[in-house]
Amino acid sequence: MRRYGCLQAIAEDVGDALVICTVGGAAAQWNAIRPGDGNLRCRTLGLVSSIAMGLALALQNRMVVALDGDGALLMNACALPTLACQRPGNLIHLVFDNGVYESSGLRPTATLNGADLVEMARGAGIKHACWASSVENFKQEFNKAKERKAYSLIAAKVEAGEDYRELPAFGVAEVENAYRFMRHIEKLEGIRVVPLPGPRH
Amino acid sequence: MAGETGPSMILEAMKEAGINFVTSLPDHNLAKLLEFVDKDPDLKHVPLCREEEGIGICAGAYMGGKTTAIIMQNGGFLNSCNALTTTALNFNIPIVLLIYYAGDIGDEGFSTLGSVTEPVLQGLGIRCYVLRKLEEIRATIKGATTLAIDSRRPVAVLLTKDVLGMRR
Repeated sequence: MRRYGCLQAIAEDVGDALVICTVGGAAAQWNAIRPGDGNLRCRTLGLVSSIAMGLALALQNRMVVALDGDGALLMNACALPTLACQRPGNLIHLVFDNGVYESSGLRPTATLNGADLVEMARGAGIKHACWASSVENFKQEFNKAKERKAYSLIAAKVEAGEDYRELPAFGVAEVENAYRFMRHIEKLEGIRVVPLPGPRH
Repeated sequence: MAGETGPSMILEAMKEAGINFVTSLPDHNLAKLLEFVDKDPDLKHVPLCREEEGIGICAGAYMGGKTTAIIMQNGGFLNSCNALTTTALNFNIPIVLLIYYAGDIGDEGFSTLGSVTEPVLQGLGIRCYVLRKLEEIRATIKGATTLAIDSRRPVAVLLTKDVLGMRR
């Protein structure tokens, strides 16, 4: 199974959901499939699930999707019990387990040694956590999670070393990505996130 | 006996400053404040397993329109340094850091932690205010929140035993 294929399979189902992407190739792949200001590229390894959780808790009527990885989730494994406790019903947590630190030299992660991310999630108290067995099954589970409206984690074992260097560049600077993402949320939700300077500034 | 005056004044100041989303990890000296935060219906409270995740949760909540704070010990602040740098500072995210100052002057224990706290905050470029007097709680927390939002950066308020009602 390839991550790119999984992402392509759910692109339409994601619709206009806000998507937080982990550090690494997932962001470039997702941005090639669904470009736009509704995607935030995380810059702290592991924090994707936490940023997505905060966003989902703040915007309870908006679907939020986290694109997580094995290295990231292992680094921030304490997010799992916190997610189990908060269980934001509008958050779908997708975990692509390729067994390596993809963007930092393809060295193995602990999942190659048998650490099972879905068992970890269940052990942390997460009720809806599963492995997807194929791209079709991944899409099915994604749509089940959407209908369920309960926090769900869907993991997929994917090939290591997918080549994403030929994909279009993300195209915006890191801080610009954050501002465009926030302005996008302002328009979607009709709220003000970043205040504009007043006339006396 | 733990005093309730300081913690209840801190809670009121947070609410007056517009803070409506709080993440936290306990310290003995923060127990009363966290009890008040947890009970307050105007605040969304997310208890953490590690402080660094709290920086991410606050960052996400801010992007969703909330005004956020994290309540933690200074050891937890040290746990949060990468997230503060590569998420909060990198993305211009304001968060009010309410940090219990372990190893403060007059304390027994945690002196190593106390000695690095302010230098590390300065190293990160995070402005920091030490709260020692009850009468300064309101203005300091309100001012720190305004400064965080206006500078679009985290701002730290160090909570001493004096204001938490824990000084023996």
